[in-house]
Amino acid sequence: MKMTGKAFAKKLFGAKYERLSRMLLIDLIVFWGLYIAGWSVQIAPSVRILMISAFTAGVMWQALSSKDTAVEMQHMLMLPSLHQEFVFSYVAILGVYTIFTKTATLLAILLAVSIWKPIEILGLLVCAIHAVLMAAAVYSLKKFWCASSLWAASIIMAIVLLGNKTWLILVLVMNGIFAVQILRKADGYDFYRQESEKSYIVKRQRRGSLWWYFFRYLGFHKNYLINTFVMWCIALILPYFLGEIGSLSMVPVGFAVLSLNTPVCILLSCDRDLEQAVRFLPGQVQMFCIPYVLFLFLCNMTADVIFLCSLQIQNSSVTVSMIFAAVFFALQSAVLSVLLEWFYPIRAWKIESDLWHHPRKYIVPVTMLLLAGVVIAWPALLPVLMILLAIEVVVLFFILWKIQ
Amino acid sequence: MCVALLTIKNLSAWYNDEKMILSNFSMELAEHEVVGLIGLNGAGKTTFLKVLSGLHPVFHADRICFCGSTVNFRKQDFKLCRYTVFAEDNSFSYFTFREYLSYVCSAYRKEVPNLTELIQGFHFETYTDTLLKDLSTGNRKKVFLITAFALKPKLLFLDEPINGLDFQSTEYLYQQILGYKEYGTILFSSHILESITLTSDRVFVLEHGKIQQTFEHGQISAADIREALHDENDR
Repeated sequence: MKMTGKAFAKKLFGAKYERLSRMLLIDLIVFWGLYIAGWSVQIAPSVRILMISAFTAGVMWQALSSKDTAVEMQHMLMLPSLHQEFVFSYVAILGVYTIFTKTATLLAILLAVSIWKPIEILGLLVCAIHAVLMAAAVYSLKKFWCASSLWAASIIMAIVLLGNKTWLILVLVMNGIFAVQILRKADGYDFYRQESEKSYIVKRQRRGSLWWYFFRYLGFHKNYLINTFVMWCIALILPYFLGEIGSLSMVPVGFAVLSLNTPVCILLSCDRDLEQAVRFLPGQVQMFCIPYVLFLFLCNMTADVIFLCSLQIQNSSVTVSMIFAAVFFALQSAVLSVLLEWFYPIRAWKIESDLWHHPRKYIVPVTMLLLAGVVIAWPALLPVLMILLAIEVVVLFFILWKIQ
Repeated sequence: MCVALLTIKNLSAWYNDEKMILSNFSMELAEHEVVGLIGLNGAGKTTFLKVLSGLHPVFHADRICFCGSTVNFRKQDFKLCRYTVFAEDNSFSYFTFREYLSYVCSAYRKEVPNLTELIQGFHFETYTDTLLKDLSTGNRKKVFLITAFALKPKLLFLDEPINGLDFQSTEYLYQQILGYKEYGTILFSSHILESITLTSDRVFVLEHGKIQQTFEHGQISAADIREALHDENDR
């Protein structure tokens, strides 16, 4: 079963496992950079454990659900091999991938900005390994979703309630051993993502409207839909937190945060065939990019409108300049996202999870946060920024028309 | 009216510096002809069609002319004159066939034509309003083939168009390829000798990124092409 591990490892880490060393080097740089910057945040051990566990389990679940490993998986399961050994190799490689390429970055940030004892690193590593095993075991028990959900919920409760107790690690180790026992009984096919049943839904729409395309895309990707719904929930409660801070001048930060709905901003990156098609067909700058900008603007603006309505209900303090700021942030974020997708789509990804955590996705939200900082510091600059945005749109139209 | 529709002189294309996929590749396509491209795996057929479709950016050519004028494969003028059916294509999965066709027709600035005959010919009646993501490989291929024949561009590139098609649709495709000369030129790659011998006016045998042999009209026979491919394999 050495070959199973090798096949998946080479896919995830590159032919010479070069991605592994590259990621560890990046983590080291991130840790060192933040450490010498001297930022310090007080984080309770239970919060650290919960963060590491939830993040690792989430990424592991994404990796297990990824359809990008389906071809290798299909081939492996076709071969006459011991399924149990297959399960361990598969889970081990995905676990190493999750911990070394994703959790390690979070760990580096947490360790750089908080005060910790060396023994705590060991504890956090145990948490990460436990989360990997737990996610894999629960995934293999998908058929018994009720029992596995209860099991997962009880572990989360244990971490929340017993997070400060040292012996929680013992509980996690015991639970990890239990997860291993479940994996020992698991079959390779439990991890095989079968092609979903073809729905053959008949759509009587005759015109090829991209709006329909985008809404269907959102509808069929439940995780993207949930992400959008979560953003709307955040929009609803954000005014409460701003009220707590006691400053309504922070409203632009709210608009910037609400432009963080990154999954809908990677349409071309995550669909290579669609990218090929829009580059191959004529007139796509107008036909594809403009509706895409408007779609993203609509997504951002919906969240902003919910935010403003909630603000109005809680504080009765919405002003015209806030509405203009909302339009500015929603449109600027949409334009930048589409520009990045068109000129710099993310190509070096192995499985969908890489795409979800790619740093490029966060360029636009970070830019928006910086712009929010500028607007908070100099509110008079908002009209200037809006004029600049208008000029930017006109110039882009001109450039895109020229390069067609 | 021009005789040489597309002229390419000394085209080289590569993915990395170590290996050239196409090197000093020259060819000419005339108006209203069907040209078959055959070669062993890795000979460069798909790369060549991707270069023509403007999807492979790293290439160099001494001269590329379309209707006598220098052309850029990524420019709108050229794009409007060609359409490619790729060997594998999962694009626009959330459109139905009718929506996709309407979208592509408006990209090519054309009215959606009457497709009854093409849809019946490819036995596609049941699937016109189904999302492309729900179609089988063969039916998805039909979506792009019907679109290609409906658009009737001057240049039609087909990359392994027979793959995935059932027997009846394959026969119908041969008829369409033969009849297409009325509207334009087809350049298609295939591993199926029959598809080449039944439809092509000229056949290019591709080897190591170059055209090693060309067969024309009366010279096109399965035995000769097979022999050329065997020679290629032995070299």
